[in-house]
Amino acid sequence: MARIRFRDVRHAYPPPKGQEPVYALNEINQVWEDGGAYALLGPSGCGKTTLLNIISGLLTPSEGEILFDGKEVTDLPTSARQIAQVFQFPVVYDTMSVFDNLAFPLRNRGMDEKLVQQRVEQIAEMLDLTDNLKKRASGLTADGKQKISLGRGLVRSDVNAILFDEPLTVIDPHLKWQLRSKLKELHQQVGVTMIYVTHDQVEALTFAEKVVVMYEGIVVQVGTPVELFNHPRHTFVGYFIGSPGMNVLPCSIDGGQPVFGKNLLNIESRIKGQLQGKLEVGIRPEFVEFSDDGIPVKIEKVEDLGRYQVLTLTHESEIIKMVMAEDQTVPSENPRIQFDPHHTKIYCDDWVVEEAVNE
Amino acid sequence: MIRFNKWLVPTLYILFLMLPIYGLLSMSFKTTNEILGGFSFFPQEFTLANYKVIFTDPTWYNGYINSIIYVVINTLVSVTVALPAAYAFSRYRFLGDKHLFFWLLTNRMAPPAVFALPFFQLYSAINLFDTHIAVALAHCLFNIPLAVWILEGFMSGVPKELDETAFLDGYSFWRFFIRIFIPTIAAGIGVTMFFCFMYSWVELLLAKTLTSVEAKPIAATMTRTASSSGYELGLLAAAGSLTIVPGAIVIYFVRNYIAKGFALGRV
Ligand SMILES: Nc1ncnc2c1ncn2[C@@H]1O[C@H](COP(=O)(O)OP(=O)(O)OP(=O)(O)O)[C@@H](O)[C@H]1O
Ligand SMILES: [Mg+2]
Repeated sequence: MARIRFRDVRHAYPPPKGQEPVYALNEINQVWEDGGAYALLGPSGCGKTTLLNIISGLLTPSEGEILFDGKEVTDLPTSARQIAQVFQFPVVYDTMSVFDNLAFPLRNRGMDEKLVQQRVEQIAEMLDLTDNLKKRASGLTADGKQKISLGRGLVRSDVNAILFDEPLTVIDPHLKWQLRSKLKELHQQVGVTMIYVTHDQVEALTFAEKVVVMYEGIVVQVGTPVELFNHPRHTFVGYFIGSPGMNVLPCSIDGGQPVFGKNLLNIESRIKGQLQGKLEVGIRPEFVEFSDDGIPVKIEKVEDLGRYQVLTLTHESEIIKMVMAEDQTVPSENPRIQFDPHHTKIYCDDWVVEEAVNE
Repeated sequence: MIRFNKWLVPTLYILFLMLPIYGLLSMSFKTTNEILGGFSFFPQEFTLANYKVIFTDPTWYNGYINSIIYVVINTLVSVTVALPAAYAFSRYRFLGDKHLFFWLLTNRMAPPAVFALPFFQLYSAINLFDTHIAVALAHCLFNIPLAVWILEGFMSGVPKELDETAFLDGYSFWRFFIRIFIPTIAAGIGVTMFFCFMYSWVELLLAKTLTSVEAKPIAATMTRTASSSGYELGLLAAAGSLTIVPGAIVIYFVRNYIAKGFALGRV
């Protein structure tokens, strides 16, 4: 068990001939607390796998260092780091039985055979693999093989961290849900650090205590699901978390207050000083409401999603999404909307303007 | 009618393929006189005398032993050298890897005769002439590229996450390579050995040029049978039939692997 720390880590893969290297990871400074359950969330290609491989030592970062409990491990080989990692697609040792597959990481660390037996049976029980223990691993279905991969990741209780790289991709939805709750349960029992990569926000929000959102090689925000929802620090977090995502609309500032179109918006506190760059106002669809005076809009579409409705509105050429309870009705003529001032945020070059948040 | 047609074509084809082999086999059980006397489908006087000569006369059976020795050496060396090379090609990107891979294959496009003279001079100079090693190494020039190419295909079919998992589970590289990776691509190694074996077994020109007495291959022995009593055709047929045996045995063992290899698109 260890506290894992990234200090100024950057990584570039060797570029194709004659091209400049592109950083897959750019300036990561991040601490993974011992025993935390983290979800690493981000779009395809943002560097999630790269980050995990750097923790486990499969990759050595081009710059910066990795510390486990304050000790530098940047150049330590994978086999010496005591990290378990489960990949997106099943990896099994075809030539071994299911039991031997699960026992493999334990035996390699010289564990007593009796304890190995006990531990493997425990994990097999948890993953419903008990009936298959004697079979050859190559004979199982994709589901079954992925369970073996998971089992091999979970079987050791003395690892520094367990990394999951979208481990449930090949598993069918029902079983997925079950396995995810088992992982969570196991985390509560053993308390080992877990980092769970996904690009599915529901998966991330249900698994993790802390969600780390990545975007184009940087960590844009770390926080609890509620923090990410209420205080997105970056427009990307706003888009990515929540369904539908946050409305991000162009604006200008007049006397410390944002102006959208020709409409002055209220916010919690006035913005001090001059802002240089692209200015935008962010408002979640949940905090948009109809009002008598406000921004005039046209209603383009109403979707009924059961407990709530999603409205697509336009103001001039800007599209605004709005979420409304199912029992509310849409005004018949001249609809106008307003934004909840407590949840209206200003972004400058995609980063939140802090003055607006602090009360 | 359709069923009948489905069987007809393959059956005819196989008959057509088997005919010369049958001819050879039946000839090997005839006396030379009978062969010279005219064509007959079955041996009139069935005789094992030809085979007896081959298994008792050292100039004959040594030919087989020599061939088998250098073929086995060649196969082992080719596969052993090709394994790490193929691994590098399949797992790492390095400067010029594509060019090197292609260049390796172009070696095979030159006819062996091109290399006969240089090899002859080289081996004479370092006293390797007329040894099994000489032929085995000469054949490696052709077989290693082929082996690298076939093995690379099989290795690329194994996800690199297998390697990574083994490192995570505490294995060092070589331990992983020998204990996990090689068993995983056993089928590929079987196929590779088959092709190396076959090439080396049927290659005649280099084998003949680089040997004289000590390591003379069976095929060379066969071309020198115009003895005092004229051509001993029965004996030749028996020797020829026996040259098919090792290949048949190897094919029997790797037949399933070869099917897999074809399915994977290499070979
Ligand atoms: N072996 C490699 N060689 C060169 N570039 C690579 C390599 N692996 C990844 N990259 C590049 O690095 C960037 C980050 O890749 P990475 O695999 O870490 O993304 P990811 O967040 O895991 O994406 P996904 O959700 O698709 O798995 C991508 O732009 C990718 O093209
Ligand atoms: Mg990935």
